[in-house]
Amino acid sequence: MEKGGVEHEITELRLGLPGRDVTEKIVKKRGFTEMIMTSSGSNSDESGVVSGGDVEKINESPAAKSEVVGWPPVCSYRRKNNCKEAWTTKVGLGYVKVSMDGVPYLRKIDLGSSQDYDDLAFALDKLFGVRGIGVALKNGDNCEYVTIYEDKDGDWMLAGDVPWGMFIESCKRLRIMKRSDATGFGLQPRGVDE
Amino acid sequence: MNYFPDEVIEHVFDFVTSHKDRNSISLVCKSWFKIERYSRQNVFIGNCYSISPERLLRRFPCFKSLTLKGKPHFADFNLVPHGWGGFVQPWIEALARSRVGLEELRLKRMVVTDEGLELLSRSFVNFKSLVLVSCEGFSTDGLASIASNCRHLRDLDLQENEIDDHRGQWLSCFPETYTSLVTLNFACLEGETNLVALERLVARSPNLRSLKLNRAVPLDALARLMACAPQIVDLGVGSYEDEQDSESCLKLQAAIRKYTSLRSLSGFLEAAPHCLSAFHPVCHNLTSLNLSYAAEIHGSHLIKLIEHCKKLQRLWILDSIGDKGLEVVASTCKELQELRVFPTDLHGGGNTAVTEDGLVAISAGCPKLHSILYFCQQMTNAALITVARNCPNFIRFRLCILEPHKPDHVTSQPLDEGFGAIVQACKNLKRLSVSGLLTDQVFLYIGMFATQLEMLSIAFAGDTDKGMLYVLNGCKKMRKLEIRDSPFGDAALLADVNKYETMRSLWMSSCEVTLGGCKRLARKAPWLNVEIINENDNNRMEENGYEGRQKVDKLYLYRTVVGTRVDAPPFVWIL
Repeated sequence: MEKGGVEHEITELRLGLPGRDVTEKIVKKRGFTEMIMTSSGSNSDESGVVSGGDVEKINESPAAKSEVVGWPPVCSYRRKNNCKEAWTTKVGLGYVKVSMDGVPYLRKIDLGSSQDYDDLAFALDKLFGVRGIGVALKNGDNCEYVTIYEDKDGDWMLAGDVPWGMFIESCKRLRIMKRSDATGFGLQPRGVDE
Repeated sequence: MNYFPDEVIEHVFDFVTSHKDRNSISLVCKSWFKIERYSRQNVFIGNCYSISPERLLRRFPCFKSLTLKGKPHFADFNLVPHGWGGFVQPWIEALARSRVGLEELRLKRMVVTDEGLELLSRSFVNFKSLVLVSCEGFSTDGLASIASNCRHLRDLDLQENEIDDHRGQWLSCFPETYTSLVTLNFACLEGETNLVALERLVARSPNLRSLKLNRAVPLDALARLMACAPQIVDLGVGSYEDEQDSESCLKLQAAIRKYTSLRSLSGFLEAAPHCLSAFHPVCHNLTSLNLSYAAEIHGSHLIKLIEHCKKLQRLWILDSIGDKGLEVVASTCKELQELRVFPTDLHGGGNTAVTEDGLVAISAGCPKLHSILYFCQQMTNAALITVARNCPNFIRFRLCILEPHKPDHVTSQPLDEGFGAIVQACKNLKRLSVSGLLTDQVFLYIGMFATQLEMLSIAFAGDTDKGMLYVLNGCKKMRKLEIRDSPFGDAALLADVNKYETMRSLWMSSCEVTLGGCKRLARKAPWLNVEIINENDNNRMEENGYEGRQKVDKLYLYRTVVGTRVDAPPFVWIL
């Protein structure tokens, strides 16, 4: 190992994949390949790219695949309606069903598109066209509705108690019920005091 | 010189309705040009920026129906930024100022506003038909204007629009005296619907033939609506969730038994599988079935329904039906002409719902098939060659293999030969979308054989400029070419500038074309609008010293007789 002024050169951080020069020469196909290589920059998998008509092998991470804009070519209206996430066993990501007492149809809401409880409150208000659900989330005592959610374990909890991150990870579905029906529903008791 | 008086010629022209034919007639001689332009009833404008409303009115002063299309097709996949254009307002304003007796307006991928809809509703006494497809920018307030003011409205058809739903009372804005409704489609509205107003409207509309509901119409309301409109031919079910009691299902079944005229069924935006079976009694008459939004219905239930649909001509479905389900379709639906199979899982999660086997089965079982859109995880050349042999009658063939660059999964070869077989066998092919691993070779085949091809969609394909050149040189009837993420550059773009005069438009995004190349093209072809869409950089392209060689992210060019458009936003640079 060399000492002195050269030492820092060896330990110098570089951005980009190892063997960078090689890839810059060979990659003629832009687009998808490039996107994979730049979007998963820390991915150390080998990407053997051969020019011309040879078959190309790409080692892609699933996360990178979904980052291609506008692919697959399904129109945005259809994407919104056919969100598959609600039907996987994955919890907390994507859409969950929301039911509201007195409303004869279920709606779905994308938890991922809200940043916090305030956002969620606003989104729920918009979804059902009823003002006041949001208030229920924020300060529990003064309104007609309570918002509860079913968590990973199948228990029904009052929404708003746990930190947002924890909430979206464990929420499987939401229900907006009348406060009068909520007592005696069997909600799990609150956890830590605020 | 005419042998007949003008009125006779005009009467003969009345029988010619296709736009292409009428365009041809108008080229025969000056006299025919004049007679044709005064008698043209339906005007079709495929690109709203190719002509201005004023010039339209000068040429055709007496038309009754106008069709306008705005944004390019790839806007459907979020490739065109918000605010790009396609505003219908100047058109409505110009038509309102003129004396045109507009009766029908059909818009696709355009930006519509409530003010525009209000102006429309007040300006044309005989307005009858409004069809909006994939439009945006308006709310239910605009619909309220239409409902209130259009006394003779027959059709209000909203397909897949982004509508701001104020949950107002637009449905109750139809006057009590209004009874002429024939088509009502509001499936794309997200909010709650005034069910009472809806039921009253349907009950007083004896001519209602097509009714498509949104997801906010629950099961019991559906049953009541169906009971008072048994003459319906085309029904879009909103939703029914299994939160309902089974009494509603029984009511529904009773209503369905009277539905002898029903030919087309769609919707099921949220559906409980057991209620699908309620529709079995009407299946034997169905010619069109769209279950492509019924994400929650398991394949087995879909199959049970389809087994009863022997007369089906058009089927739109999700890939949850599986290869087995497609085999059932192949053996049941011998009249099938159009099939679309959409993906349930957009990210290709390894679940092989439909494969090349399903496609082959369909091609073998359905001799009348001429249009297909097929999303799948995998394909082989052998399968495509078999499909081409079974079905030489394709007019539209769109195959989307979900993973870009994916080769034949058995041989690991590119899919050039498979698509080559398709274009060689299908002599009437007008529309083609290719996918999977493809080299320049596939484009050689397309240029050589696809002589009738009018629209081609290319993504993640080809090796060099030669690929694009084969297509531009070979496909004489090409009208719309859209390319993304493919290595075609300036040499291909500039090889034959006059070609673009014969085409409606060209889209190239994430390709190899440079700013310098686009500028050269714009100089050579002043009758083209060459648009560079650069949302991220705004004006960085100009400042950069290497601008000539800088790659253009999105290029959209189209022929026009009215020059540069004036409504372009800052991120669109028209050369």
